[in-house]
Amino acid sequence: MTHETFGGAYVPEMLWKTLQDLIAAFENAKKDKVFQAEFADLLKNFSGRPTPLIFAERATKRLGGAKVYLKNEGANHTGAHKITHCLGQGLLAKRLGKKMIIAETGAGQHGVATATVAAKLGLECIVFMGSEDIRRQRPNVFLMERLGAKVVPVEYGSKTLKDAVNEALKFWMENLDKAHYCIGSVLGPKPYPEMNRYFQSIIGREIRSELQEREAKLPNAVIACVGGGSNAIGSFHDFIKDDVRLIGVEAGGVGKKVGQHASRKIAGRVGIFQGYKSLFLQTDDGQISPTHSISAGLDYPGLGPELADLYQEARLELTYALDKEAVAAVDFFAKSEGVISALESAHALAEVRKVAPKMPKDSIIVATISGRGDKDLFNFARAFKDKSFRDFLKDEYERY
Amino acid sequence: MKGTKTKTLEEIFHPSTTLRVKSGKPLFMAHMIAGYPTIPESVQVAKALVKGGADIIEVQIPFSDPMADGPTIAVACEEALKKGATVAKALVVIKKVATFGKPVVVMTYMNPVYRMGIPKFIEAISKAGATGLIVPDCPFDTQDGWSLLATCKAAGIALIPVVSPGVPKERLKTLAKDATGFWYCTTRQGITGATSVFASALPGFIKTMRSISELPVAVGFGVKSRKDVKDLSKVADIVIGGSVFVATLKRSKKVLIVEKTMRSLIG
Repeated sequence: MTHETFGGAYVPEMLWKTLQDLIAAFENAKKDKVFQAEFADLLKNFSGRPTPLIFAERATKRLGGAKVYLKNEGANHTGAHKITHCLGQGLLAKRLGKKMIIAETGAGQHGVATATVAAKLGLECIVFMGSEDIRRQRPNVFLMERLGAKVVPVEYGSKTLKDAVNEALKFWMENLDKAHYCIGSVLGPKPYPEMNRYFQSIIGREIRSELQEREAKLPNAVIACVGGGSNAIGSFHDFIKDDVRLIGVEAGGVGKKVGQHASRKIAGRVGIFQGYKSLFLQTDDGQISPTHSISAGLDYPGLGPELADLYQEARLELTYALDKEAVAAVDFFAKSEGVISALESAHALAEVRKVAPKMPKDSIIVATISGRGDKDLFNFARAFKDKSFRDFLKDEYERY
Repeated sequence: MKGTKTKTLEEIFHPSTTLRVKSGKPLFMAHMIAGYPTIPESVQVAKALVKGGADIIEVQIPFSDPMADGPTIAVACEEALKKGATVAKALVVIKKVATFGKPVVVMTYMNPVYRMGIPKFIEAISKAGATGLIVPDCPFDTQDGWSLLATCKAAGIALIPVVSPGVPKERLKTLAKDATGFWYCTTRQGITGATSVFASALPGFIKTMRSISELPVAVGFGVKSRKDVKDLSKVADIVIGGSVFVATLKRSKKVLIVEKTMRSLIG
C-alpha cells in the first residue's frame, strides 16, 4: 500500500462554513480555561469520571499469563464512553449558538448519550437510527424518547449505522443554522476525528495514571474494540509514543465473506466516504459493502482515519473476534470478574482471552470495556437461548 | 435572463461543442440515472429528455450512499444497483447518450471515482463523450480534489463545483480560481428533491457569484413545475431538473413519458 493521507473533509461545499466555524470553536475551546473547567466538571460530577481500572485477578489466574486489567468505561453515566465526546460537543454546540443537536446511533449508546447531554444542557435533540438497529436495540430507543429526544428511523440501505450517518448528514445540510451534528465516533470530515479523539483520550490518560499508582509501570498491551474507533483511539492515544502494543479488535461476525463481518483488516480498502478518506469495506466498483456484527456498534464499514494512519504505520495491530467469541467473552468475564460488558466491548475481551495466556506473567494487558451490557439484555438472552427469559417476555406481553 | 449575456454551450463547455442556443433564453439541464429503471431503458430516458427539449443531459452514476440526494433519487440509485448497474455499464450508457447531440455532464460521488482511479475514470468518461463532471462530495482543496481537478483540466473535462446559498464570498472566490464549465448552484441548503422552496437568499447569492466569476450559473434542487423554471429563469443561465423526472418514472412504466414531463417544464 502506498502511503495515504487519511482524513480530510470530503463534503459538499454547503458544509464548508459550518465546519470552519466548528474548527474555530474547537481550537478556541482547547485553549480556553472556562471550557476546560466546564468539561472537567461535567466529566467528574455528571458522568462520574474517573472510571475504575479493575484488576481482573480471577480472570488472570484462569488465563495463566499476563496480568489483566479492565478499564471500565461502562461505569460512565449512560453506560458507555460515548457520553464523554457528547459532553464536549454539547458544550461546543452551545458556544456556537446552536439550539439543537442531532446524532446518528448504531447500538443506541451514542444516541442515549447525546439525548442525555441535550437534556442536561437544554438543547433540542433528534437521533437518526437504522430501522434494523431499532429492532435490535428497542430499549435504548425507549430511553432516548424518555430523555426528550425524537428518534427518526432510517428505512433505506442496510438500515444500520452507515445509513443513520447518511440521514443525519442530510438533515444537517437542511438545518445548518440551528443544528450541531454530534458525530458519534472518530470519523466524518475534519475536525470530527481529531475532536472526538481529543475528548476521548482521557481514557488513555486515566489508564496511565491508574496503572502507575498500582503497578508503577506502563502496560505491555492496550486492547480495545473498533467500530469507527472512538473508545479505541481514546484508549491508545496516550501510549502512541510508548513501547506499548496497541491492539484493535474488529467485528469478525460469522465469516469472511462480504456481508458476514465488519473487519477492515479482512477486506478494507482505501476509499472516500461520509466525509473522510480511510479504509472501507467496499466492492470493486466502489460501492459500500453491507456489514454484519452481533453488536450494532461495530456494524459499520469505515475505520476512523487516525486509526487507519496508525495501522498504515504498523503502530496499530488490527485483529477480529467472531460473534460467538464475543458472546463467550461476556460470559467468561461476567462469571470470573462480575463485569457484564456490552457485546461491542466483548470483542476486546475475546482477544484478551487469546493473547493473555501467551504473554509472560509479569506483563500487563489493559482492555477497555467501552460499555456495560445492560443494553444487550435481550440479545444475550437470545444468544444464550434462555428459555425462561422468553417465557418472561411472553408474560410481560400478556401483562402489557 | 436579464442583464447578463446568455452564454452559448460553446462558451460553457469544450471548444469542440458546436451547439448554440438562442440568446435570451436559459438552457435546461435534465438529470437521469444510468441504470434506472434499467440500463437499456435509461438510454431511452435520455433520448426522451432530448426530444422534450433538454439542452444538457446530466447522467448520474449510481452510488450506494448518495449523501447529497433526497429519497427520490437515493432510492432510485439503490434500485439501479440492485438490478446490476455498475460503473462500466454506466459508461456504456454515457457513450450512447453522448450520440444524441447534447453535451453530457457526469455526476457521481467520490468513492467510485477513487476506486477506479482518478486518471482511469476521467479517461473513461472523456472517451465516452462527456464534457463535464460533478462530484458533490469532493471539494477542490482536498488531496484527491486537487488530483481530480488537474486530471480534468488535462482531459478538457469541466469540473463543475456545487455551491449553495450560505457559502461565503471568500470561499466562492477560492473556488472561482479553479472552476470550469458552470456553477451548479442549489436553490437552498439541503439535498435534492424535497420541496420547491427556494432560499430567499438565492437571488442575492447569485449576484455575488456573478460579481466574482464569469462562469454561467446553473440552478437546481426542487425544480418541479413550469412556474419553478420560469422563476429561476430570472436569475439562472441554466435551470436543472432531476427528481421530477425520476418521480415521473416511478409513477409510470412507460419511460418515454419523461419527454412530456420535460416539455411541460419548459413550455
